[in-house]
Amino acid sequence: MNTPFRLDEHRRRPHPPLAAPPDRYFEQLPARVMQRVQPSAAPAWGWLTALSAPLRTALASTLVLGGFAASFFLSPTPDVAAISLAQVPQDELVQYLLASDQRVTLADLAELPDAVALGNDPYPQPTPDELQRELDALPADEVYF
Amino acid sequence: MEDQEILSKFRDPASRNVAFNQLVRKYQSKVYWHVRKMVVDHDDADDLVQDTFVKVWNHLESFRQDASLYTWIYRIATNECLSFLQSKRRRFFLPLNDVGAELAQKLEADEQLAGDEVELKLQKAILRLPDKQRLVFNLRYYDEMPYEQMAEVTGTSVGALKASYHHAVKKVEQYVTEHSLNN
Repeated sequence: MNTPFRLDEHRRRPHPPLAAPPDRYFEQLPARVMQRVQPSAAPAWGWLTALSAPLRTALASTLVLGGFAASFFLSPTPDVAAISLAQVPQDELVQYLLASDQRVTLADLAELPDAVALGNDPYPQPTPDELQRELDALPADEVYF
Repeated sequence: MEDQEILSKFRDPASRNVAFNQLVRKYQSKVYWHVRKMVVDHDDADDLVQDTFVKVWNHLESFRQDASLYTWIYRIATNECLSFLQSKRRRFFLPLNDVGAELAQKLEADEQLAGDEVELKLQKAILRLPDKQRLVFNLRYYDEMPYEQMAEVTGTSVGALKASYHHAVKKVEQYVTEHSLNN
């Protein structure tokens, strides 16, 4: 049978018999601690080091996503040309077309969007009087055409 | 330099650094061995001791003197140790006993223990205790700290500490007896 071990009969040590710290450790420790607590001449972004790792990751993600969003909203829209053209008065457009030798063909008209070709209302449903007035305004040769 | 003098000098910005330097010199050895007993490894202990004193610096101005400066610093060091061991366990998904086994391995490599089988068994038995019970054991057995001071350090009642120490001693004695060479 084992001899029971009694702690109060064992020689008590001031601390476990572990290897002593390196030479001059306790002489250097105060200076090392003081170095850590003194405000250093940190760069302007030194506050980042004070943030926790998850917070830094979240901040980086926000910056990347924000960059994408900003580039998306700030990129020129494809309708700028159409908007600029719409601002030109109709008379000037007609003058330009008449001045040049260009003629609008049926093929050109076919490329116009329906909204432009038909006006704002795709189903005008004119009254008989309105229809007659429009037809009277047209040149005779186009009526037969 | 007395604690009260250190505290009053620390409150004066002109003498703050000198006072804190004195504080570190006064308590560094006690704090180091308190931490070292918990984490065994010197490098880990070094990091934790520095972290402890950095926290002391950051909060010393708001120290209300409900407890003595000595027990307050011990409490910070204790919390640092317990957090460190907990995070180590979580990081490596280790159960309670495996951290003890890892610390025991470091202990076996320690030259100071070479040849002293009973002491080695005793140290292994202590490392097998749960962290908080080991803390109580260390404070009482090695530091011979009164239970009232231990209560301030650990935030536990005196009765609970006495019971914890009693159980720890029983466990240690049982382990050393069972693993003794005198089979």
